[in-house]
Amino acid sequence: MRPLTFRKLFFQCLLLLVILFFVVVVALKFGAVPVSLYALGRDLLRVLLGQSSQISSDYGLIIQNIRLPRILLGILVGASLSVAGTSFQALLRNPLADPYVLGVSSGAALGAIFGLIAEPHLALPPDLGALLTPVCAFLGAAATVAAVYFLGRRQGQIESNALLLGGVITASFLSAVIVFLMSTVNTSNTRGMVFWLMGDLSTSFQRSVFLFLAAGFFVAMGVIYATANDLNILLTGEKEALHLGVDIRRVRFVVYVAASLLTGLAVSVSGAVGYVGLIVPHVMRLLFGSDHRTLLPTSALGGAIAVVIADTLARIVVAPNELPVGAVTAVVGAPLFIYLLRRRLA
Amino acid sequence: MSPSRSSTVPRTAPESTRLGTEIRLAVEQVSYAYSANPSQAPLFTLETTSFQARPGEIVAILGPNASGKSTLLQLIAGVLNPLSGRILLNGFVIHSLTPRTRAQRIAMVQQESRLLFPARVWEFVLQGRHAHGRSLRFESSNDVQIAQDALMQVGAAHLSDRLMDQISGGEKQRVILARAIAQQPLLLLLDEPTLHLDIAAQVGLLDALRRLAARYRYTVIVVTHELNLAAEYADQILLMQSGRCLRVGPPAAIYQRELLEQVFQVPLKVEMRGHGRPRVTILADS
Amino acid sequence: MKTLRPLRPRPAACAALAVFSCAAAPSRAQSANHSSPEPPAFREVVDETGRTVRIPQPVRRIVSIAPSLTETIYALGLQDRLVGDTDYCDYPPDAKNKTKVGGGVNPSLEVIASLHPDLVLATKSFNRPETTHALDELGIASYATDPHTVADIMSSLRELAEILGVPDAGAPVVEEMQRRLTDLQQRIGSWPPKRVLFVVWTQPLISTGQHTFLADAIRRAGAVSIVDSSQDWPQVNLEEIAKLQPDFLVFAESHSGEASREVEKLATLPGWKILHAIRDRRYAVISDAVNRPAPRIVSAIEDLAHQLHPEAFEQKPGDAKEKTDKEKPCARPYAFFPSFLNLPPPSLEHVRSTGGCACGR
Repeated sequence: MRPLTFRKLFFQCLLLLVILFFVVVVALKFGAVPVSLYALGRDLLRVLLGQSSQISSDYGLIIQNIRLPRILLGILVGASLSVAGTSFQALLRNPLADPYVLGVSSGAALGAIFGLIAEPHLALPPDLGALLTPVCAFLGAAATVAAVYFLGRRQGQIESNALLLGGVITASFLSAVIVFLMSTVNTSNTRGMVFWLMGDLSTSFQRSVFLFLAAGFFVAMGVIYATANDLNILLTGEKEALHLGVDIRRVRFVVYVAASLLTGLAVSVSGAVGYVGLIVPHVMRLLFGSDHRTLLPTSALGGAIAVVIADTLARIVVAPNELPVGAVTAVVGAPLFIYLLRRRLA
Repeated sequence: MSPSRSSTVPRTAPESTRLGTEIRLAVEQVSYAYSANPSQAPLFTLETTSFQARPGEIVAILGPNASGKSTLLQLIAGVLNPLSGRILLNGFVIHSLTPRTRAQRIAMVQQESRLLFPARVWEFVLQGRHAHGRSLRFESSNDVQIAQDALMQVGAAHLSDRLMDQISGGEKQRVILARAIAQQPLLLLLDEPTLHLDIAAQVGLLDALRRLAARYRYTVIVVTHELNLAAEYADQILLMQSGRCLRVGPPAAIYQRELLEQVFQVPLKVEMRGHGRPRVTILADS
Repeated sequence: MKTLRPLRPRPAACAALAVFSCAAAPSRAQSANHSSPEPPAFREVVDETGRTVRIPQPVRRIVSIAPSLTETIYALGLQDRLVGDTDYCDYPPDAKNKTKVGGGVNPSLEVIASLHPDLVLATKSFNRPETTHALDELGIASYATDPHTVADIMSSLRELAEILGVPDAGAPVVEEMQRRLTDLQQRIGSWPPKRVLFVVWTQPLISTGQHTFLADAIRRAGAVSIVDSSQDWPQVNLEEIAKLQPDFLVFAESHSGEASREVEKLATLPGWKILHAIRDRRYAVISDAVNRPAPRIVSAIEDLAHQLHPEAFEQKPGDAKEKTDKEKPCARPYAFFPSFLNLPPPSLEHVRSTGGCACGR
């Protein structure tokens, strides 16, 4: 009998953190401008020690203003989607669940589209104007979350099957609305739509967006992690969970809201990056087991690693052009998913 | 060895008297109605039922299908709220307790749903400790000890590292019981535990229940339709039919031929044996 | 970018087409020639996508499913023969009064058929090959243009004039275009070209490749796009742009003020702030006409040249201002990205600020 100890968990997370660090270092090296890691490290150290206010190397501005934020965005998006995916798989008792199965991404896309339509009519100052798209996307996601919640309630609490059904129907409906809007679009500019459908990390955001994303991630992650043991037991069986002391109603509600919040945050800044929320939890289960006390943090780190790698590939494969990161995750993710599926069924 | 617990049961009952003297469980005038649609008439009702149980006692809720046995058990477990009346455990109204507090005092053994992700037997049993301590925590060595003990008590210690879907039905039943024991409850509830077991396993299970009830002073409530098992092991029997509790009492008082024939709708014969335990023989059609 | 695929012969469809053509041809000929009973004449030409088209002669009824071709028809003086155009055909203003057949992507085939056109005009970048296929199956002749340079636009125009039976109308238009372009070249030819980034879209960042007529227009305006791609609408990495530091950003707007608002928004974002062109607010804004391969593109080119090379036009400041005023785009209530969301005007009637137009291509 070897129950999970804090020590074991700590080392598992440390291992993944180290991997993430290396991945970030490699990602920093690739891009339009060459980077001397030594110089970068030295400058970063200076900044951290407060000796100078910004990186001084030749192309430092590019690294600081474009590449590093993009990597950071990848980390936040990857972590958010993976934790959301893990949570939904537990909540819906379905290993095929991903963060978008309940329609959140379609709702976000629709919110963004409405924001874009409304924008010329709102006289917003420029820095708020730049925030309009992600904010509207997030509101669209939130509205979808609320709608699906009410569809998924039975006798006052969330029921897995009803939630899944309600979510799938909502996703379907919203996608149809989006397709309707798309069908009136001039073919040559559907590339802009690709952003939402495939996921893309190339947008530049103000610092406030990052702070909001990070805060949202940590709050949601904290809330979900507090229910980690409850989720373990919930997956054993619903009736049994109740008898074992799990407040199913509260746990379901809390996890649903927090995981949907994570998905909404990620999608509102990057569109719907696919496969990350579906596959990373499975891979982490294979490596570290199904205990959510381990699964949640390792999924977060694993997701961050996966997205940063995918985005780096997206940047360098067709340089100087770039692919949307969702294209890379799909190309890598789909075969990987088939492999995982066969392994489970075998 | 008696496990440490933070219960309110006074430890004055001497080992020699198997049953405690105080009332642990009091079911007072409890009724229930279930309707699929709130505006329609109820599909099923459980009529007013009352009984009491003591520490160390084994109570059997006996009856044919759809007699309300499982509903009564769910009410005692606190999962359902009674329409009228109340159920008290050591003086506390059960359904007013939080799920966590309830789980510290009441353990349920029932057919397991299919596991979604692979789990080991020891992980499974350790889940019984969830209600004790904070929700998010790592299991302490005390928890591990209790879980190991529980497995030993049911004779499944050798299965500890196996995967749950690799053990037989009977073994699974024992593991589930071990998990319930690990909860260190006051009340142990079992819903048709002998359904899929062969005879040896059935006897083994009930023997274990009797032993555990004596050792840990559990109040055991078993829902069953097995006439002879109930007669052999129960201290008290509730005879149910169509939502009504027809009679409460020791086996000798319940096992009257006319009464049983009316409830179970088969011709049978009741024999009183020496130690007060009746035996029922079903008379085949000739 | 989609390509117009060559016709795939399908036996059943060919048979149907044959029957249909036989049935349709006489009635079309009759409706077109109700005054004098001539035998229907056809002319076989190869359009710019390589399709062989049989065009009934003379061409009396034309439907245009691309705004650029609508403009071209007006430039050739053939507007009386234009019986239908798209919702986005808004220039010249009279084009709005024609019967609408829908959008460019999904025009209503029924409406087109009901107009009994002799010829439908399409262009590869705006329309889909499915539409021309469908028209073929209905027995309606369709001719598609595919200009990749400004010179192509001019030769398309000449070719169209010939096909439509007014060869003499094409020459003056083309000559005027050529004259203005040559004048422009004389003025700015000696100045080094400005390095620019043409911003089609900001999120994600999409620019134009080297083989579009847009890129050619930019070249003629005395600029060179820093994006070197054979794709028509490549998504480019912001880092590349930051490394190359274009002298100017170029925006095509259909609604006045869109571009400056967009630039102000970009100036608040860390990734864009480091572009000198954003920092110093060095950007040029031209009319959406640059997106249409039609005669008006020359005005857009001139406008761009004025903004990029003001020093070449110092002698006549009045002229420059005149030209830019003349090409002021009409008010349009939609968001900045010109072609992203061209919702059909009727459904958004209530959001129009002025009796404005929807711009497309």
